[in-house]
Amino acid sequence: MHEVRNTHAWQILRDRGVQFLIYASVLLISAVFIWILVDLIRGGIAHLSWEFLIEPPRDTGRAGGIAPILVSTLLILLVAVLTAVPIAWTTAILLAEFVAVDNAFGKAVRFSLHVLAGVPSIVFGLFGNAFFSIYLGLGFSILSGGLTLACMLLPILTSTAEAGLRTVPNTYRTSASALGLTRTAALIHLILPAAAPVLAAGLLLGIGRALAETAALLFTSGYVERMPDSLLDSGRALALHIFDLSMNVPGGDTPAYASSLVLVSLLLCINILAMKFAHGLQRRKIMT
Amino acid sequence: MSMSDSKKFLLVFITCFVLEFGGLACAYAASERLVLTGSSTVAPLVGEMARRFETMNPGVRIDVQTGGTSRGINDTRNGTADIGMVSRALKPDENGLHAFTIALDGISIILHANNRVTALSKQQIIDIYTGKITNWRSVGGADARITVVNKAEGRSTLELFLHYLELKNSQIKPHAIIGDNPQGIKTVAGNPNAIGYVSIGAAEYEAERGVPIKLLPLDGVDATIANVRNGTFPLSRPLNLITSREPQELARRFIEFARSLQTHDLVEAQYFVPVEVN
Repeated sequence: MHEVRNTHAWQILRDRGVQFLIYASVLLISAVFIWILVDLIRGGIAHLSWEFLIEPPRDTGRAGGIAPILVSTLLILLVAVLTAVPIAWTTAILLAEFVAVDNAFGKAVRFSLHVLAGVPSIVFGLFGNAFFSIYLGLGFSILSGGLTLACMLLPILTSTAEAGLRTVPNTYRTSASALGLTRTAALIHLILPAAAPVLAAGLLLGIGRALAETAALLFTSGYVERMPDSLLDSGRALALHIFDLSMNVPGGDTPAYASSLVLVSLLLCINILAMKFAHGLQRRKIMT
Repeated sequence: MSMSDSKKFLLVFITCFVLEFGGLACAYAASERLVLTGSSTVAPLVGEMARRFETMNPGVRIDVQTGGTSRGINDTRNGTADIGMVSRALKPDENGLHAFTIALDGISIILHANNRVTALSKQQIIDIYTGKITNWRSVGGADARITVVNKAEGRSTLELFLHYLELKNSQIKPHAIIGDNPQGIKTVAGNPNAIGYVSIGAAEYEAERGVPIKLLPLDGVDATIANVRNGTFPLSRPLNLITSREPQELARRFIEFARSLQTHDLVEAQYFVPVEVN
């Protein structure tokens, strides 16, 4: 009797211990994010103002704002996403819906995507510089930067989208064909909306990587901090601006903090918006 | 969506795309443009010069890119850039290039402000960087191991430093390798036992703002901008614009502007030393 109670107490203790460890790791992960955020806010909030967002930089970024840099960043992102998303998602649809899992062609495509995902970004930068900037003659431009980023986004977008499509239960597909829907109709009205949250999550991962990219853009979209007139103008990305301020400009730390704060807020906003949108789409298309 | 609808959509899309590109190409051809690439030390300064030049000459665009001195030389040779930025004097084997000095920069040895050492001889610096002296006690400091901070390969500060000490990079035994000047300053400011070398202008600026570093004199000459200007400081370098042939038209106008009195305030704002051009 005494022994049974002892074992019971030991089990409770063990459960508590495991519970504690789980909570501790969750806290640790949130703590990293909060630490970064608090550090950025402490260093940058004093420098941040409306003028900082709408003025061009002066004195190599130590004074003035980041307006042209924000515009360039968003344009680069737009080019990258608009180019990569159609290609990546159609590839994913092909891989998940029209090609069997053990098909040799599918395997080859998947393998090349995995290799591409592991390539360091500076290699993409050098490739982009050699191919888009010099061979295609786009020079240092937002277009060549965006296209280089698009190459980087392809593996992330394709793999996440394929995984998302594969999580849609097969009963959806069989019910759709039982109701006489064509494969395309089933895809548009049922499967894509069902996979929307995963697609959106993949898109967010991609956008996050694109916004944070420095090395691939140094030699493609370039270093010019002027307001871009067209996609063929060189434009400095926000991450590159932060790198330059903290590494090349004496006294550039405070604006670098403020710019990082803007970058992180931008990411948070995009995250929240995309999640809302994806859930809305899913509910409208499927739940009703 | 029926077939004809999707075809129409595609047609409209392609038309928009072509029109947009056509418009872009026109805008591209309309303005006079210069592309500069090269040293990350010179790029912020030239960027400011370019901005002023653009406001004085509407319709002109000066695109300043970065990537390092070697890249500047390569890009100028192969025509990717009209003008290269080089943060040192050209070497004898880099012939066929035309160099125009726009400013001077000195390189200073820096220590943490709490370090008791106030001066090092050239031989002591050589011994520290080659690993013969490993403790600050040997040169009159506290009993602590020396952290040697060196610059990365390809940096012109490294080349200039090695040239001054008459060393090869393979002889140096570094504990940390860094890229740009502010990074070097941060490394030394964060480690009381570190020794490093960075641009005097950047170091003076940070030291004045309370960053815990100090600049050591070299050969008995204080590391100050004033001593770089009067030519007495032994470790200094010119910041150059280079071209592959005799500069023409816009390139010539920009180089003349960069060397004129109109940009001296910009040079000083970046903590470099303006040059007197006759």
